[in-house]
Amino acid sequence: MATQHSRAAARLMISPSVLLLLGWMLIPLGMTIYFSLLRYNLLMPGNNPYVGWENYKYFLTDPAFTAAIVNTLLLVGGVLLITVVGGVLLGLLLDQPMWGQGIVRILVIAPFFVMPTVSALVWKNMFMNPVNGLFAYLAQFLGLEPFDFLAQAPLMSIIGIVSWQWLPFATLILLTAMQSLDREQLEAAEMDGAGPFSRFFYIVVPHLARAVTVVVLIQTIFLLSVFAEILVTTNGGPGNASTNLTYLVYAESLLRFDVGTGSAGGVVAIVLANIVAIFLMRMIGKNLEA
Amino acid sequence: MARKVTTQRMAVNTVVAWVIGLLIFFPILWTILTSFKTEAQAIADPPIFLGFNWTFENYIEVQERSNYFRHFWNSVVISVGSTLLGLVIAVPAAWAMAFVPGKRTKDVLMWMLSTKMLPPVGVLVPIYLMFRTLGLLDTKLGLVIVLTLINLPIIIWMLYTYFREIPGEILEAARMDGATLRGEVVHVLLPMAVPGMASTVLLNIILAWNEAFWTLNLTAAKAAPLTAFIASYSSPEGLFYAKLSAASTMAIAPILIMGWFSQKQLVRGLTFGAVK
Repeated sequence: MATQHSRAAARLMISPSVLLLLGWMLIPLGMTIYFSLLRYNLLMPGNNPYVGWENYKYFLTDPAFTAAIVNTLLLVGGVLLITVVGGVLLGLLLDQPMWGQGIVRILVIAPFFVMPTVSALVWKNMFMNPVNGLFAYLAQFLGLEPFDFLAQAPLMSIIGIVSWQWLPFATLILLTAMQSLDREQLEAAEMDGAGPFSRFFYIVVPHLARAVTVVVLIQTIFLLSVFAEILVTTNGGPGNASTNLTYLVYAESLLRFDVGTGSAGGVVAIVLANIVAIFLMRMIGKNLEA
Repeated sequence: MARKVTTQRMAVNTVVAWVIGLLIFFPILWTILTSFKTEAQAIADPPIFLGFNWTFENYIEVQERSNYFRHFWNSVVISVGSTLLGLVIAVPAAWAMAFVPGKRTKDVLMWMLSTKMLPPVGVLVPIYLMFRTLGLLDTKLGLVIVLTLINLPIIIWMLYTYFREIPGEILEAARMDGATLRGEVVHVLLPMAVPGMASTVLLNIILAWNEAFWTLNLTAAKAAPLTAFIASYSSPEGLFYAKLSAASTMAIAPILIMGWFSQKQLVRGLTFGAVK
């Protein structure tokens, strides 16, 4: 049993991590909130006067903000839809007996390990380029007009690229969950005369619900912060067509050097992410008790 | 017992799965192939799949033009450095929470995880300004610090879930047999903890290697790791597909190999133990 002495030692062992994370969270967070209340532009040095909610008013009423929120939701929602549906289907497929299963699995999860800038540039140039990309050749081969993906459908193209990166994650987690399914239960259901569809909807789906929730929540946290893919493909354009919230805050702060407005946007992003985080934390917390 | 599967069904599964697997893998395969072509062959119409003269020219040229290995080395230092630093800070914490759990251990763990939910863009401005003041912009040290902090919760969580699986009774048994504290740690605990620590290290190197928000925003020419270096290909001049492919292939190869070895740990690490 833990003694008084070991308790004290344990506290000492935990404290560096706690202090570091506390500092990492509170200091920049405090500064962001503070900056968000100032008129503060790096291009206009001077005393940075307190302006109250002005930055928030400016940021939230900027048409770019509305566009960014819509794009963020479309990006997160689109990628989630593709990866979860694709992940369930791929998971079901990979769970079947076949030759070379291990190798297929390796092929399927590989995109997850490709760094975001590489996958974005490879897709942008070697596949989506309207002149030299493989899709252009394919269109030509089929007798179609080549399509300039990143100019004509920038957000959809980015959704495609990001989905390619995250499909392996969803597949891997859903496959892991499927493999923990009790086979005997399935066989018993089959013997009782349940067809493949009712077996899927009454046994497999409920079993997967938890894994799907985990996939959705974790991906949402990461997808809200998609940045590199946008930076190297479209720079948020044309116009604001592919600007998400993360990119908009980046543009305000480091391209337009408007620290005040950028910080206000940062606070908005934090509030949004927290709404998702609360749900995720509940899920994981429940698991900790189990 | 698994049911007997007919050969026919097995064959259908195999074909469908391989076709889909190869389609998903194709962009990576295409990048690797293109890296061995000349620039003219890389954009040939119709595209050349395998019938080209293999050349290493692009690899040599990428290094000569842009000092590629400097950025490769930056990636190594930043990912390995931040992981090891994180490990040094995290092992005592995870150890204490797993073996001497208190009333609030769970709350502390959850709170640590919650720091991971902070969107990076929310603290971009202060970190950037702080780094500018402290002279940490475009330094490897600066990135090591940031990546250590953003991955610390994952390291602690992964270690915690592994350490928790080490049965406490084994320690008591060793103590009964007269083991000293040192002997207990070296001969009993360490061998059981090493596999978990190795997986944790592997996953974190992967995450740090591919991190592309802070590396893009906090570095310029000097300390840029591969994520940021490759981004410079977004505004290229002239023919560049083969060179882009060569630079990309070298950037993803080490992590692909490590990733394939850590498939199982990946699930556990990225879901914070919620799916095993």
